[in-house]
Amino acid sequence: MRHILILTLVLTAPVLAQQRGAPQGPPPTPQAAAAVDLSGQWVSIVSEDWRHRLMPPRKGDFESVPLTPEGRKVATAWDPARDRAAGEQCRAYGAAGVMRLPTRIRVGWESPTTMRVELDAGMQTRRFHFGTPPASEPSWQGRSTAAWDYAGRRAPRGGEKPRGGALKVVTTGLRPGYLRKNGVPYSANATVTEYYNVVRGLNDDVFLIVTTIVEDPRYLTQPFITSTNFRRQRDTTGWNPTPCSTT
Amino acid sequence: MNPIARRGLVPLALLLAAAGAITVVVRADAQEPLAPNLLGSGGFNLAGNEMDMSGEWVPRFHEDNDERGNGPELGDYTGLPMNDAGRARADSWDPGWLSMPEWQCRPHPIDYIWRGPSQMRIWKEIDPQTRDLVAYHQYWLRSTDRPTFMDGRPRPPAGAPHTWGGFSKGEWDGDMLRITTTHMKEGYIRRNGVPRSAKATLVQYWIRHGSVMTGVMMIYDPVYLEEVHIRSSDYVLDPSQHIVPYPCEPKEEDVDRRPGQVPHYLPGTNKQLFEWADKFGIPHEAVRGGAASRYPEYRATVDAMLASKARIGIPDNANAPREAARPLAVPDMPADTGIRVVPVRDNIHVVMGAGGNITASIGGDGIMLVDTGRADASAQVLAALRQISPRPLMYILNTHFDPEHTGGNEALSKAGLAIRNTGGNTLLGREENVAMIIGHENVATQMRRAPDPPPFAAWPKDVYFGPEMTLFRWFNNEGVKLVHPNAAHTDADSFVHFRRADVIAAGDLYVNDRYPVIEVAQGGTINGLIDGVNRMLATAASDFMAEGGTMFVPGHGRISDSADVAYYRDMLTIVRDRVDEMRRRGMTVEQVKAARPTKDYDADFGATTGPWTTDMFVEAIYRTLPPPGGTR
Repeated sequence: MRHILILTLVLTAPVLAQQRGAPQGPPPTPQAAAAVDLSGQWVSIVSEDWRHRLMPPRKGDFESVPLTPEGRKVATAWDPARDRAAGEQCRAYGAAGVMRLPTRIRVGWESPTTMRVELDAGMQTRRFHFGTPPASEPSWQGRSTAAWDYAGRRAPRGGEKPRGGALKVVTTGLRPGYLRKNGVPYSANATVTEYYNVVRGLNDDVFLIVTTIVEDPRYLTQPFITSTNFRRQRDTTGWNPTPCSTT
Repeated sequence: MNPIARRGLVPLALLLAAAGAITVVVRADAQEPLAPNLLGSGGFNLAGNEMDMSGEWVPRFHEDNDERGNGPELGDYTGLPMNDAGRARADSWDPGWLSMPEWQCRPHPIDYIWRGPSQMRIWKEIDPQTRDLVAYHQYWLRSTDRPTFMDGRPRPPAGAPHTWGGFSKGEWDGDMLRITTTHMKEGYIRRNGVPRSAKATLVQYWIRHGSVMTGVMMIYDPVYLEEVHIRSSDYVLDPSQHIVPYPCEPKEEDVDRRPGQVPHYLPGTNKQLFEWADKFGIPHEAVRGGAASRYPEYRATVDAMLASKARIGIPDNANAPREAARPLAVPDMPADTGIRVVPVRDNIHVVMGAGGNITASIGGDGIMLVDTGRADASAQVLAALRQISPRPLMYILNTHFDPEHTGGNEALSKAGLAIRNTGGNTLLGREENVAMIIGHENVATQMRRAPDPPPFAAWPKDVYFGPEMTLFRWFNNEGVKLVHPNAAHTDADSFVHFRRADVIAAGDLYVNDRYPVIEVAQGGTINGLIDGVNRMLATAASDFMAEGGTMFVPGHGRISDSADVAYYRDMLTIVRDRVDEMRRRGMTVEQVKAARPTKDYDADFGATTGPWTTDMFVEAIYRTLPPPGGTR
């Protein structure tokens, strides 16, 4: 047994030394240590829930959403005129629902620690903070804490390049909003967990898959899980900022 | 620790350290390594990026619940990048079709089942010696086992059979599993008749985040889609679930259906196509699908449709991406060229690439061929056979007389050896230095009548003239039976049933890479062809969930089973019915051709140039149908 110990220590010593004793600079910024490249313009492919996403909203059509009785009551009472009068046309553009809208998104970095996601639908901007997000009042986009979910479940060391992974974003601090444009609600206590993965098809196709888990005990009987698909654009065509709308 | 175990650990430690992927600190008295990158599920993560996908998973129907649970409505093509052929095919789909015995037990294909209403089980196949991951296996309530091979094994050749699950190879992309699937049987993208062809390729990702798995499917179908169709489905880990068995036995359920009838709607006759659209106030054009209908700007198109309340037409997809038209880059797909021998089952092989397919029974008794391919390929065919067996070539059976199938008769026969039956009930025989050539008597008749007849040595000398013939001896441990359908591809057709291996060599009664040739001048007819195919299907027996069982070697194309042949039979019947209906309405043959009664099948089977075009196929149907007012 002692032989094995010695052999193992000898073989692993350089690696350990590199980790422990070698001079190291500051850890790379989240931007520099990105597990996956999300930058660029993406366009949503509405291949699922087409009726709910590309048609004008219909009252009471909350198919697929596991609503509590209270949630159903609220959804059935949806009144877009009331939202407009209250200046709350952006209720369907909050973090829990906005990625399901037909939209283009632009992903970039506002700072080395803050990823910025702009959406032309509703002209919304989301900020994903690596670290603690600044305190703020509840808002449509809330406070989003981001972290890289590295493949192999560990951050790259030294000069290693990440072997892939995903972006994990947890959002709280939301204003009450809609999961769909027809008033299917989520409450201020909702937590939105998202995973951003990039996948490759044939013919150089690249897609962004956003898996969204909305937890809201008030209006949802179980975590509401959807996955939304975007295609990477080779250019910036089609960008069409439009204000929030209740239709 | 015993010395053997100790000796085993040293190379293991060396291997691990050399791999550089593991940093292991071992305390002298420790039992557990304090490694930061051990997987939670146990075991070393050598590659450093592999995720365990196995487990019991239950789907979440938080997207498209009505479609996936209750089932889709007729005519709902929303969100699908269908082309015109896909629409035409889906429009003709009649739910009664599912009551046909061939389709009652059809499982969901692999690119649909992820959307289906069933739990999913994923488990690992581990090599017991190396403990390497050989494959992930999956099944659902109504599916076949779908292995995803992780061991790098080669992909089957293009001529290999297609299955509901296809052939899947996996590779890690970070800790996502990327799977490329080829060799899929024809399937569907939505359970309301929206088709997906057997030429499609599926690229899939399994993405696991803790107890949530997202399955991403990218379907590339050059036949029915304008661009890649991507969709994703979400599952949650649920160790308490159990997937019950799904014993399905097909039975005739529709006693009113006449023999040979295939339920379908003729073009323009399906009055239910827009009921769903009307229910939800969706413009009819908007439910027709198409690539352009899935992008954000289509919302403005919908608004315009609703505002105008006018027919705007099918979505303009002129500017939509056209990836499907590009060649699909499946990097490890074997080349489909040259003479190649593909095993079918037991003693039965297929020689491909020599013109028509050549079925070969190869065993201790020698070699029996069904058809012989082109004359100029004989030497290569013989060389390919000789790589498998030195035994003599003793029998050549001809399914018909076309030179692509009988061109090698003379050369291959002369390379053979026969124990010839001298006739009648005698037990006498004599040995000859040529293989015996057997076929229906009309094969010899048609060869004799040909403008450029083949040499006499190429003619079948042992012929039969009844409805069927069983070979006078078992060969390679099985009975061999020839069956003659009347007036089908020609008037001289046979299909050959190898009864023990349960393989049918179909000749040109069944092809899957082109429309079948109907040689009108040589006695071929569409109804005889359909009858012949139905007779083959009646001879066959499918295995579990409409897959496997009796295997078919087509005259041209890939090895198949009953389901593939049933799809083909359905195509023939539907196109025949369309042409017949047009003809009964008084349309001329030119008008029928212009109406494109085959348009939903052309990308799969059609040709505009070459010796057998789509127009020629339609014309042959038109001209060989019984006169209007007659019976089929």
